[in-house]
Amino acid sequence: MPSGQAAADAAEPRERPCVLRCSGLHKAYGATVALQHADIALSAGKVHALMGENGAGKSTLVRIIAGAVSPGRGEMYLDDRPYRPHSLMDARRIGVATAFQELSLVPNLTVAQNLLLPRLPGSAGLVSARKTFELGGEVLARHGLDRIDPRAEIASLPLADRQRIEITRAIENATRVLILDEPTASLAETDWLFERIRHVTGKGVAVLYISHRLGEVREICTEATVLRNGSSIASVDLSAASDSQIFEMMVGRKVAHKRLPRAVRSERGQQPRLAARQLGGRNLHDISFELRPGEVLGVAALEGQGQQSLFRMLAGLESPSQGQVLVDGQPTKLSGPRAALRTGSGIAYLPEERKTEGILSGLSAATNIVLPIIGGVSRASFLTPRMELRAARDAADKVEMNPRYLDFAIGDLSGGNQQKALIARTLVTGAKTLLLFDPSRGVDVGTKQSIYQAIRAFADGGGSVLFYSSELPEVVQLADRCLVLYGGSIFREFEGDDISEQALVAAMLGHGDAISEEGAMHDRAH
Amino acid sequence: MTERIDASMTGFGRTSTFRGLVTGGGLIVLIYICLYAVYAVQQPKALTASSIAALINNTAPLALAAAGQAIIVISRGFDLSVAGVISICNVVLAVYPLEGPGGAAASVLLCLAIGAVVGAVNGYLVAVLRLQSIAATLATMIICQGIALVILKAPGGYVAEWISYEMTDVLWRVIPVSGLVVGAVVLAWLAIKRSAFGISLYAIGADEASAALSGINTRRVRFGAHVLAGCIYGLAGFMLSAQTATGSPTAGTPLLMLCFAAVALGGTSLSGGKGGVFASVMGAATLTLLQKVLFSSGVSSFYTGMFQGTVLILAVVFSALLARSGEAK
Amino acid sequence: MSGAQESVSAVEPFAQTGDTRTSSKVSRETITTISVAILCVVLLLAARFINPALGSWAQVETVLILGLFLVVLSYGQGLVILTGGLDLSLPAVITLGGILATSWVGSGNPAEWYLLPAVLVVCGLVGLISAIGIVWLRVPPFIMTMAMSIIVLSALLGYTAGTPRGSAPDAAVALMKSHVAGLPTPVLVLIIFSAIGWAFQSRSIYGRYLYAIGTNVEAARNAGVPVTAARILPYVISAICAGFVGIALVGYSSGATLRMGDDYLLPSIAAVVIGGSSILGGRGSFLGTLGGALLLTILGTIISALGLEFGLRTIIEGSIILIALLLLREELFQRLRSIQR
Repeated sequence: MPSGQAAADAAEPRERPCVLRCSGLHKAYGATVALQHADIALSAGKVHALMGENGAGKSTLVRIIAGAVSPGRGEMYLDDRPYRPHSLMDARRIGVATAFQELSLVPNLTVAQNLLLPRLPGSAGLVSARKTFELGGEVLARHGLDRIDPRAEIASLPLADRQRIEITRAIENATRVLILDEPTASLAETDWLFERIRHVTGKGVAVLYISHRLGEVREICTEATVLRNGSSIASVDLSAASDSQIFEMMVGRKVAHKRLPRAVRSERGQQPRLAARQLGGRNLHDISFELRPGEVLGVAALEGQGQQSLFRMLAGLESPSQGQVLVDGQPTKLSGPRAALRTGSGIAYLPEERKTEGILSGLSAATNIVLPIIGGVSRASFLTPRMELRAARDAADKVEMNPRYLDFAIGDLSGGNQQKALIARTLVTGAKTLLLFDPSRGVDVGTKQSIYQAIRAFADGGGSVLFYSSELPEVVQLADRCLVLYGGSIFREFEGDDISEQALVAAMLGHGDAISEEGAMHDRAH
Repeated sequence: MTERIDASMTGFGRTSTFRGLVTGGGLIVLIYICLYAVYAVQQPKALTASSIAALINNTAPLALAAAGQAIIVISRGFDLSVAGVISICNVVLAVYPLEGPGGAAASVLLCLAIGAVVGAVNGYLVAVLRLQSIAATLATMIICQGIALVILKAPGGYVAEWISYEMTDVLWRVIPVSGLVVGAVVLAWLAIKRSAFGISLYAIGADEASAALSGINTRRVRFGAHVLAGCIYGLAGFMLSAQTATGSPTAGTPLLMLCFAAVALGGTSLSGGKGGVFASVMGAATLTLLQKVLFSSGVSSFYTGMFQGTVLILAVVFSALLARSGEAK
Repeated sequence: MSGAQESVSAVEPFAQTGDTRTSSKVSRETITTISVAILCVVLLLAARFINPALGSWAQVETVLILGLFLVVLSYGQGLVILTGGLDLSLPAVITLGGILATSWVGSGNPAEWYLLPAVLVVCGLVGLISAIGIVWLRVPPFIMTMAMSIIVLSALLGYTAGTPRGSAPDAAVALMKSHVAGLPTPVLVLIIFSAIGWAFQSRSIYGRYLYAIGTNVEAARNAGVPVTAARILPYVISAICAGFVGIALVGYSSGATLRMGDDYLLPSIAAVVIGGSSILGGRGSFLGTLGGALLLTILGTIISALGLEFGLRTIIEGSIILIALLLLREELFQRLRSIQR
């Protein structure tokens, strides 16, 4: 039983009825056990967090509850009646709706059509475009999204709005249970989402909230179930459990406080490895910065403030319309990631989305890792898988990737291991500058630590790192200096101990003084 | 953001009028009119009713083949079996001619049935067994080709007179029957496009996974698309038989490549999710007209192919450029 | 710093907590290749029952000689399909190779040692043009190669005015009709070609690039693969292969016709598909394609030995392809994998 019951009782005088009760859920795919034994109970009007590392069974549990997959063993009860949906649509009809992390919207249909699918309004077999528009508009208005045109095509909307529509659709259909899988992955701020969640819980719907972001989880959820190794370890009242207790449950042993002292590594006066001079282009203007050897430079920004353009320009995937990129002090025109690797001391790029831009799923992890330098690995252009394995080994160790995964097809690995492999790829190239876009996105606690360790070791060895992260604690922990982008330009710069979450957030939202043209680089945060 | 998804040109969302016109068929209509003007200058007789009728008669088989193919392409597939269905229909009509209007009606139904059966087989392979459409339809095409060869080993036979006279005839001295047939198919499509089935077709062409997660029964829609396309191919076979009045076991083969050309020429994207039947029909018309223009320009018939091929490449490049110009954000 | 290091290493063992994933060592490629090989042997043995004259060693030799055409052609087609494309211009390029070989070179031409390679270069140029259209003009491969096919055939039609003339170059005849160390030269060429071809596709850096591009072009670009050059390469190779096949055909049948390549397009795609490659690209091995090509050739010889009419033969060929496709579905592989353990 969750501890802190008294605290819960004090908040709500009477106990909320249990909407969804799952016990002993088990799911195996062939010989692989994805879910060993999971119990979870969702109460009406409460937001229940589901936490656990990658590979712990979260996504399987979610798919079972959502109706996409049937459990091998175990039972589920919805309002005390047996709940056995045989499809997602079936579950939706019963009142259990899911907003997926990988959005499930049809890109070439309109917002209204997506919201109303599969039942589009019309008569005599023909769909009425006007009714669709009206009804769609009503749904949007109901959820505070009337600024979105119901006739707009999904593909033309920014990612954040698409996620909002995905969530809205789920809310519309969730009469008993609402499942939100990483709902803030593409949202820069949580106000709208949390307001909607409160609205939904007010109506007695139970919410299952899956997220890696503990700060958010504490803000909106009252209780949490932690999964580890395919089993539910405990369900706790969040107000009574500390962060380290939760991490301990997730990881299995006490994880020491992660903040490490930041050693001063960069020596001023050295030639900057990478520099930008008044760089401008799509979504960006007047970007100037220098990245020195041994330095870890973080970029923090809300969504869509130009960080994607910046990284793509530095990797050569986009050309700037103004300004210059300088590598080792020389202005260069980069034509792509391959050219960037070969320019000066080398720039290696980690793209934003590993699934669609990063991994080559049918190839082995070793091949994925050594692909940029495969010419060097080969002998007279020929090579064997063993040669690839040997060449990848070293880099894999640096990211603490279990070498037994090296000859797996990378598509078969967990997200965390895939990300490790991609980072190992940047390390194996011998490039002295790394461009890492959100290096620990969608990755569990243990993997995050391995990644941070690798980044720190790289910088300690004299390498330079430019990274973007949407998770502020990560920026605070890793960065020697931090640039905050706002509106496509550098709004503020922080250094050393000035980097704190509060200061960053303020700057990301555009509060505080902008950088003056000459000199004065930082404002002391009071 | 990477150029992952095109701004749509289905006409569903808000688009620039010009781009909407291109894939809606506006541009290809314009091209057709210009080409026809050239033709009219070369051949003064081009503007007579009988000349127009002959042109439409010639175009009808390819137009129908392209119409069916467009449906499959929109749902992100390829259908090679069009050649097989047309060949079988043609040899069946030539080897078992059924006289008179009753016979013609029976023949149409027969062709539709043949097309539907082949379509159903394709649909089962692609939608239920999840084979790749290009591979599955390649196999069914080869089998259909074989069946056609078994029915008729070499060109010969004759198509029922009623069919070859009436279907190439002109109503009220102006409107060719073949034109009515094609027109009917296009109108039927415009209705289908606005139905849940039609919308689902575009949806699964753009992103089948999301369509499924949004509640669309993707298997049923894809199956239905193949059956529908098959029926239209059957109709194409019927009209082709009316045109040639004889049977050939390889009657469908030349139409295979040309129907894809027609679809692309009309602006329908080969990666699915956009485009239309009307535009593809106009693409077919343009290709047929091009042949005539080249011939009356004195270009040796040897070189018609070179022109058709080049036109095809240019058309695809142009419509792709147009699509991308809309994306620059 | 030591305290920090301790805490980091304390985390290390947990990096793999709970991840019990396994990956099958026996890949889909291996299963397909072995199945196809078994089928070939089975068919050859079965052929003996149908007709004692078949299934003999001489028959095997004939199969290998005839198989050379399809094997070489399917290799090129396989590389194109691997990168996610499709080459429909192969029949036209075969014809181009054959006609140029007979009309430029002909028999008894002392300059044939550099003219024949020149023919291959011209064919390669056709492939290069296709590739340029596909990579720079972004024309879908299906369309571009189809258009090139129409253009090239039309050009040949005009060039020959409908009647190809000339005779087979000596080298081509020698290639197809001579023997080296007791083996027919075509068989030797087949073996050497297959070995080099497989090594290029599966054990060279270029092969890796092609697999990468076939899986995901953007991801390949981000991984430093020279995307543009790697996308052009398969089309040039497949055109050269087709040109070679044209020359070889001319050597085998002593003449060129305008339709000589027609019967080879669908089998080239079929061999690749039967051999287990995904039509979408990114997966497959040449060994499978090799097996598929030989299988189709054996099938062809058995069917013609049975004296079946062409229509029936076609139906059987199509059905074989269908059966191969049905047996090679991804789901079946996954079920197989789970049964294994």
